[in-house]
Amino acid sequence: MAMKPEDILRAIAAARGDAICVPTMTTSPAWRTLAPDDLSIGCVGFMGGASALGLGLALAIPKRRVIVFDGDGSLLMQLGSLATIAGARPRNLTHLLFKNGVYHTSGAQDIPGGLSVDFVQMAKGAGYRKAYAVKDFEDFKSRLPSMLTDEGPLFVELHTGLADKTPMTDRGGQPFHQQIENLCQKLSKAG
Amino acid sequence: MPESIPAPLIIDTLRDTFREARGGSMREPLGWILSVPDTHQKTVLAALDKERALRVVTCATEDEANAIAAGLWIGGEPVVLMIQHAGLYASVNTLRGVAMDGRVPTFYMIGLLQRERDRDPKESRHSMVRFAEPLLDTFGVPHARLEGPDDVHLIPEYYRLSRQRRGPAAVLVGLETS
Repeated sequence: MAMKPEDILRAIAAARGDAICVPTMTTSPAWRTLAPDDLSIGCVGFMGGASALGLGLALAIPKRRVIVFDGDGSLLMQLGSLATIAGARPRNLTHLLFKNGVYHTSGAQDIPGGLSVDFVQMAKGAGYRKAYAVKDFEDFKSRLPSMLTDEGPLFVELHTGLADKTPMTDRGGQPFHQQIENLCQKLSKAG
Repeated sequence: MPESIPAPLIIDTLRDTFREARGGSMREPLGWILSVPDTHQKTVLAALDKERALRVVTCATEDEANAIAAGLWIGGEPVVLMIQHAGLYASVNTLRGVAMDGRVPTFYMIGLLQRERDRDPKESRHSMVRFAEPLLDTFGVPHARLEGPDDVHLIPEYYRLSRQRRGPAAVLVGLETS
């Protein structure tokens, strides 16, 4: 059975420490609830940009782990970012792909290729240090600590079902510029 | 008449711009160049390969470059995007979503490939040259032309402007760099 995105996010929220998280699309509503006031910034208004935003953060703050919660439809919009990330070699970047085979937010239309697209092979081919798929929640839990500490760039394709909420069914959250402001302030305080 | 700007002059200016952004600090990297390779600025990109103080990240698309720039800026790093006019057209949604709506200071050096030496860009035979400034005007992005070596002071000026206004600002590289 496909993993529930909310279960995955809950486990990450408990284990992430001081990592910066970059959710996008269907991970955003649940993440707002699970991690309402900490080091996160959602990719809002430029679909496909989560991994590139995460790369910039990872390069700027090498001492801190950056975790991107990407979507399969989102990644397809800027697939070249796999090569850009691999080329930049950020040791502190974990790129998690929530793979459900559809554009859930816009009405669950199939993505091109549906579930048969193998993003692990793509990430490996691009040059990520490590890339693998996880299909089972117990396996996910056992691997989570290493996902947060292994040398990056690390790519994990998570086989999930659909989230309970999408940005269209659960609108809200702060505008992008406000999220940026908050994150800048928190990073500044943290030194 | 516009003149070509030598690559070393642009690199020295970028180095000074970054040094000022860091308050005089000499830490390395001094700053970041996000590049989607541009024929027009290829001599600068070639020279940057030998620069240790400036770190270049080659991006697959201008969309990525905009988002990476936001992450770097949030993390306190000075950054310049070197792209081509065609890349500006390709990444308009990210310019809007990141630099404008996100209020992210984003400074672009945009190469006007195929700009004719004897014509104003607005009179160019090439649509890619002709539409660059009107597009920036439509989005309210302040911009200036680098028409020769005497104009390189516009690089730090527009870099600072992007920081002051918390949004995009651009200089347009008129002729191919030498």
